[in-house]
Amino acid sequence: MGEQSSLTELLDVSAIDLGARAASKEDAVRACGDKLVEIGAVGPAYVEAMLERERTISTYVGEGVAIPHGTLAGKDAVVRDALCYLRFSDPVDWGGEEVTVCVGIAAAGDGHVDVLAALAQVLMDPEQAAALRAAQRPEDVLAALAPREEEEVST
Amino acid sequence: MPERTVSIGSKTGLHARPAKLFVQAATKAATPVRISHGEREVDARSMLGVLSLGAKQGAEVTLKAEGDQAEATLDELAAMLAADLDAEEPAETAAAKPVDA
Repeated sequence: MGEQSSLTELLDVSAIDLGARAASKEDAVRACGDKLVEIGAVGPAYVEAMLERERTISTYVGEGVAIPHGTLAGKDAVVRDALCYLRFSDPVDWGGEEVTVCVGIAAAGDGHVDVLAALAQVLMDPEQAAALRAAQRPEDVLAALAPREEEEVST
Repeated sequence: MPERTVSIGSKTGLHARPAKLFVQAATKAATPVRISHGEREVDARSMLGVLSLGAKQGAEVTLKAEGDQAEATLDELAAMLAADLDAEEPAETAAAKPVDA
């Protein structure tokens, strides 16, 4: 690990929306796809691949977070690897789970495995997860997702 | 403690669909299973935990369990990890053998 891009390198400020709205899971996935199209990371075909993936299996990972991404078939529509971060003002029903945050993923190779691992580690860390939830501005999200320096741990 | 080390068979690694199917199977298993990759070891029933391993295709992971059902549970889960879970209709019999014993 380590040779791949970090979360914050893949997540642009313009791809963060802290006041998103979605009436359904499909709406939320489409909103993620539209955001990835908007920032030029994927072509419109990728949105359909994301919806298809979600129909096949839920991308809910826990802690109120889902990670919509395309199927293997959607990889051709990926222009560059990128993330988007959408926080919903009202929780979205995700097959019985409540989702408040979607991290949409555009990935052509397997670099997203490292990205997901980094994201999962943030969500499993109570302090970092709390900082993420408390984020008021896109910059706060980026700060909460930034790799933790060991030196920050006071002794 | 009984354990199995296997190489991840899915093209996309232990992530997304393969991870979900694995976690679902581990959750249903008769005994709790731990999974480790490198220095990180997590509960196999936790989706976040399993994702946090960042195990790609070919990566070696180790499963551990205790109790009466440990051997059978580990065999089942190890076979799952070795198979290509991205194949839309995974062949039950195509599961590869553990890397070592």
